[in-house]
Amino acid sequence: MRTRITGGRVFDPANNIIDQVRDVLLEDGRIIADSPPVAGEQRVDASGTIVLAGGIDLHSHIAGGKVNLGRLLMNEDRALFPEPFGDFCGCGGGRAAPTTHATGCRYSQMGYTAVFEPAVVGANARHAHLEMADIPNIDTGGFLVLGNDDFLLRLIAQGEGQQAINDYVAWMLKATQCCAIKIVNPGGINAFKFNGRALDFDETGPFYGLTPRRVLNTLQRAVSELGVPHPIHLHGCNLGVPGNVKTTLATIGASEGFPLHLTHIQFHSYGTEGDRHFSSGSAEIAEAVNANPHISVDVGQIMFGQTVTASADLMSQYRNHGIADPKKWIGMDIEMDAACGVVPFNYRDTSFVNALQWAIGLELFLLIEDPWRVYLTTDHPNGGPFTSYPHLIRLLMDKPFRDEHLGRIHKAARAHTKLAEISREYTLEEIAVVTRAAPARTLGLRDRGHLGPGARADVVLYEEQADREAMFAAPRLVMKDGEVVVVNGEVVALTQGRTYAVHPPSDPLMDKRLERWFDEAVGLKASHYKIADGEIRDGQGPEIVELMP
Amino acid sequence: MTSGEPITGGADRIVRDVVCGFCGLGCDDLEVAVAGRAITPRTACPEAARLLARSDAPPPSPRINGAPASFEDATAAAAGHLKAARSAAFSGLGADLEGLRRLYDLAMASGASLDHAASGGLFANLERLARKGWIAATLAEVRNRCDVLVVFGDDPASAFSRFFSRAVPVRGEGADGDAAPLFVTAPGRRQIAVVGGPLSEASRRVLAAHEVTEIAVAEQDVATATSVLTALVAGRVVDGLAGLPEATVAALAALAEQLKAARYAVFTWNAASLPAEDAPVVAGAASEAVDVLSVTTRAAVFPLGGRDNVTGAHQLALWRFGYPLRTAVGAGTSRHVPELYATAAALPDADLLLHTSAFRPDAPPDFDRGPVIAIAHPDTVFAREPEVFIPVGTPGVDYGGHVFRMDSVVCLPLQALRPAELPSVAEAAAAILVSFGRGA
Repeated sequence: MRTRITGGRVFDPANNIIDQVRDVLLEDGRIIADSPPVAGEQRVDASGTIVLAGGIDLHSHIAGGKVNLGRLLMNEDRALFPEPFGDFCGCGGGRAAPTTHATGCRYSQMGYTAVFEPAVVGANARHAHLEMADIPNIDTGGFLVLGNDDFLLRLIAQGEGQQAINDYVAWMLKATQCCAIKIVNPGGINAFKFNGRALDFDETGPFYGLTPRRVLNTLQRAVSELGVPHPIHLHGCNLGVPGNVKTTLATIGASEGFPLHLTHIQFHSYGTEGDRHFSSGSAEIAEAVNANPHISVDVGQIMFGQTVTASADLMSQYRNHGIADPKKWIGMDIEMDAACGVVPFNYRDTSFVNALQWAIGLELFLLIEDPWRVYLTTDHPNGGPFTSYPHLIRLLMDKPFRDEHLGRIHKAARAHTKLAEISREYTLEEIAVVTRAAPARTLGLRDRGHLGPGARADVVLYEEQADREAMFAAPRLVMKDGEVVVVNGEVVALTQGRTYAVHPPSDPLMDKRLERWFDEAVGLKASHYKIADGEIRDGQGPEIVELMP
Repeated sequence: MTSGEPITGGADRIVRDVVCGFCGLGCDDLEVAVAGRAITPRTACPEAARLLARSDAPPPSPRINGAPASFEDATAAAAGHLKAARSAAFSGLGADLEGLRRLYDLAMASGASLDHAASGGLFANLERLARKGWIAATLAEVRNRCDVLVVFGDDPASAFSRFFSRAVPVRGEGADGDAAPLFVTAPGRRQIAVVGGPLSEASRRVLAAHEVTEIAVAEQDVATATSVLTALVAGRVVDGLAGLPEATVAALAALAEQLKAARYAVFTWNAASLPAEDAPVVAGAASEAVDVLSVTTRAAVFPLGGRDNVTGAHQLALWRFGYPLRTAVGAGTSRHVPELYATAAALPDADLLLHTSAFRPDAPPDFDRGPVIAIAHPDTVFAREPEVFIPVGTPGVDYGGHVFRMDSVVCLPLQALRPAELPSVAEAAAAILVSFGRGA
């Protein structure tokens, strides 16, 4: 059946359509080229709304072992935020670490239709996929965490050629059914297993004698040569450490021309100036990002309130566990692959550090000029729950609103930020870029993030309102693959999403090497580590993202 | 019979690299012979061999009040009982994740409390994990990094036959460059201390190459000994505190010194085999020892458990409901009250029991307050004939599925070994749900 969405103001920056009143036509789950009306077509009146493609969150911890550990620690948060009663209640809830059903419903209610889990540990990938299959109404994909795995570090340390690295990376991507490579604290998680407590970008790590720079460059080359669309998704060294702005600048400078994505860069933009030895490094970072077109970032904005931080970076989480609130935390060394640390946090606007972190995130959003290289995230739940996105959007779009909130934060922090001097307000076009078009482009999802012919019929109608928070919290209509799933901010239908993966080819000899490695070192058969296509979403199988040779 | 000893038998077809979902250790290198529907284990530990062995005999049919019935009638009868119930308890939950997903769907539709037959040890550990947390390691980390292993309580091999050979293998002369342990300085010789015991002769043989210390402690004193060891590691005074023999305290003091000198110490215990009131103490003290050691070196806990996919049932409850097991769900809400919804506590208030045990023929708990629906292993012997008996196949024997390993990180794919003649738990629960929905 054909559906015509008519009368809305369309923002489709990927197709250079900015604020044009025009029809959007859908048929069989896809957008089709505009053509004259035909008998029997369904009409959706979009007047008074702005029309966007479905939202895409490229960095949100929604599934897998560390999220479940977060749920275990956050029983109070779970009890405080039960799912609303009604036909679409899944007996779940929670805000900081919501249950699967609640995750899908809350994202869907904001107009998001795809969310990517950015830290899949290989050994836990099957769990992450089973959990993602239980999330309704959104498409998903996982980024595989490499860069601390003993097999890789040994390959690099032994001086094996790039081809062996590439074969291994390809094998791992396919085995874990992931769609990109994430590096978390390159070499640092591994160093912590050998009792290393810090590892700077050019510092040699224990046992393998490798620097984070070398690990990063090797994997950058691998994803580039394999044609994985998304560049290395890097959680850099020294997360949260005052002075890490130097590390981040060094990292930007070290990318050797390969594209590089720096994730939750807010946590990596701290200086040491001032009497409290904690200051904003956002101006230097923004300048470097502006000057280096091959760098993209997501912000990892912090939002005040209770949350839980869940990261593969056990080295950093161990360092932070003393400020856990409430006082409990879980750490894990995981299966020669990586680790995890789960630490509850309560960000307070009365705390100098938290207030300045909040301001640093906003400064980065506002000082980085090209919206195509900034993606809107809170690093859910690490900076704050994803349900705070409408509030964050208003902070970006509404200078008086932002100033009002700035006026409420810790006084000394206010004195340490230039936020009041920044007049920029995000436009609707820019919001459409940072929440849709840009993440789709960097992930290589050609049929997403836009409203051109052939795109998935994920369409969102937001009622035009001066209060941008209210506007983006409850869209008038959300369509997923052409089916209406949300009306006036309420879920009206549940659908099954899909899972994105990349399957680069690898030399069969790598199978033999890894069979031996898994048998001897890991104590698990390689064949059982590998996730078959049929295991994805009860036999549906993955949706393969095309490589870019 | 020691672990790994081959069990031979003639057959049509040999299946290698069989994944085992029974004890929770997640071995995936078993070998069986399959002839028709008969299965003869060739390489398996005694427990797996017992649970994998199958004859060619035809499976029983479902029963309603003891009389043979069709699958359709049995699932409809089960749905009818569920509709009439006001307070259902789902016990056992011995199923693969696919089966559990459908059982939880059913519980959400009908309203029910959820608990697993093997959750006792899990909840003892959650006393520590959920309230304070801990630092844990997975199996491959223990294999490759652990230089000092401390076992609290009885011999792990009594419930997890191959634990020692898988967790602390020896790297012999001329071993493959990939052979574990990769990071232990003296690869053939780790320090293994058992506080409790005794070790079986078989375990002593498996550990022969290591430096083994057995500190004999009676079962009822293991918790005290664990606390003393932690105090010694932390440098606290333990004089006259313990009531343990002087020689035991001296041995624990020596062990504390070994732990402080370790690079990666690991503490393990089977909470299910410790006295119920002591298990949380052991989990807490072991975790605290790790906290103390972690200031200067690395250490981790490796709790044992996970029988019949209890870890999967726990994980699924967390991601579905945001709470562990012992939660009542239904009418859009969840209530997690372990004291009310542990099976033993829930049954005195329940008016229906739905018991699932697909991995082994474990009968439902005693229940006489209402109907019993048993989604169960075909060999189950019932003390009281259930109102509805739906025999199901075994995950990893009759059909594929997923189970979690005890470390809660690795999720394993089970494969069917023979053509299924019985439905899976997922099929049975889904059919009941359809019937339930149709008439609702």
